[in-house]
Amino acid sequence: MTAKLSDKATGQRLVKAGISEAANHKGPEYWFDFNQAIPGSQRLLLGAAGWITFVLVWHITSQMDLAPERLYPGPVAVFGALQELFIEQSFLSDVMASLTRILVSFSIALAIALPLGILMGSFARVDAALNPLMGAWRYLPAPAFIPLLLMWLGTGDTQKIALLLMGVVFFLIIMLADVTRQTPKVLIETAKTLGGGRRIILWTVLFRHSLPGYVDTCRQMLAVSWTYLVIAEIVAATDGIGAMMMRARRFVHVDDIMAGIVTIGVLGLLLDTVFRLIYRKSFPYLGRGHS
Amino acid sequence: MSVHQGLSVTGVSKTFQSGGRAVQALENISLGLPAGKVGVLLGPSGCGKSTLLRMIAGLEKPSDGTITLNGRAVNRPGRDRGMVFQDYSSFPWLSVRDNVAYGLKINGDRNALNEGTVDHFIRAVGLEKFADVFPHQLSGGMRQRVAIARTLANYPELLLMDEPFGALDPETRWQMQDLLLNVVRKERSTVMVVSHDIEEALYLGDVVFFLSRHPGRLRETIFTDFKSSLPQNDREAFLQSDDYRRLELHIRRLMRDEGLDAA
Repeated sequence: MTAKLSDKATGQRLVKAGISEAANHKGPEYWFDFNQAIPGSQRLLLGAAGWITFVLVWHITSQMDLAPERLYPGPVAVFGALQELFIEQSFLSDVMASLTRILVSFSIALAIALPLGILMGSFARVDAALNPLMGAWRYLPAPAFIPLLLMWLGTGDTQKIALLLMGVVFFLIIMLADVTRQTPKVLIETAKTLGGGRRIILWTVLFRHSLPGYVDTCRQMLAVSWTYLVIAEIVAATDGIGAMMMRARRFVHVDDIMAGIVTIGVLGLLLDTVFRLIYRKSFPYLGRGHS
Repeated sequence: MSVHQGLSVTGVSKTFQSGGRAVQALENISLGLPAGKVGVLLGPSGCGKSTLLRMIAGLEKPSDGTITLNGRAVNRPGRDRGMVFQDYSSFPWLSVRDNVAYGLKINGDRNALNEGTVDHFIRAVGLEKFADVFPHQLSGGMRQRVAIARTLANYPELLLMDEPFGALDPETRWQMQDLLLNVVRKERSTVMVVSHDIEEALYLGDVVFFLSRHPGRLRETIFTDFKSSLPQNDREAFLQSDDYRRLELHIRRLMRDEGLDAA
């Protein structure tokens, strides 16, 4: 699958075999070499080792009386708290509230950003008209609009979704436009000389070529969404993961706060994995090693 | 110079704006290529041969002059003038078969699709074993075969090629030249190829248009009638013929003069 089917495939295979044979006779393997490829099993093992080390350090330091246990609970206490939150305190509905906010706001952001991004990335005149405006909005931090949003939209879900939207949509527009713009000119001109009109080329070349880039951009911007979620839920919220954490702070339930952080981390990682899977399954023609 | 059936370029000039200065790339080019013939635009780099080809394709507009194909004026790209580029222009998300079918599909050409046109041209370029493979799994020569099949399957009236084999190693390049000639003879296509390689130009072309540079002008039109007395697909006989040697030397001298001009 990864091997190139060459006009002179046999010759290349022989050359490759010769090279790997030479490498085998080279002697000791180097553990640290620049841009070295490593086997998947080793990657997994090293990744797990990193995590185990982190949890162990956390556990040991929590046992060392550096701080009162109430303020610095260990991993065992935090996972206990997490269990209790889900079983006894209907934390699931908080999680669902947060997830809904993320998904709703992101869907709206995408519905706005995709058409604008495609048009800006495809047509220089649209880009010239909109890029300076959108580009400037990116530099206005979304949390700066919280007072305004509170006055205009109140403290409900609309205000939180609006904040998430503002935090993401301008970046999304610019990034989707950049992805679209990277469509090779030769593909567009090929389609033109095959008789393609503007609309056909927009869909079958620019959009289709950019699709993997769009998916990857969404994956990255979802991570940014999570950042704004916590900010949105810390301000005047009654439900959601962030709201739970603020409630826990009032009663100095540090284990609950940490459980909230862990939940956000796990959810973010899950969404990220889903997007990576979609990417890998949908774009087999890109081969391995992308994203 | 006017040819009714075929390509006709009349008094074409092209001026670029570069750094506030007007640079003339092509000056008053007139040439004709009859239907069913292979023409080659040959010249040193910077002579504007690719620009001329792109204007024939309709991808750029002449500053002056007219281009007609089979009597119709050219002013934008169209299905009647398919182009094969030097860069790999396969659509990476489409299999070889879907790449070759692309032109017919976007033109809604159901008849051609049903008649097995796609498979016919995949076979014509020898890719039948790779029809369901993605381009990234193919070598450079094979990708150019995809591009040729894709363009021919769309039945253009004129096949344009911009240094199509320039990025290939010599052996593959020779193979591809023979493959192209075989397909083109069988389909009776009209072809205009851009090249900077003298051997390739004389081997492929029925007529070679030599362009000089700064600005690009048509310096000489060379006909290769001598090939009709040679066996087809016999490169050795071609290279050893007196006519080839004479013309090769002649063009080499033209190239050398151009080099001195530029220095």
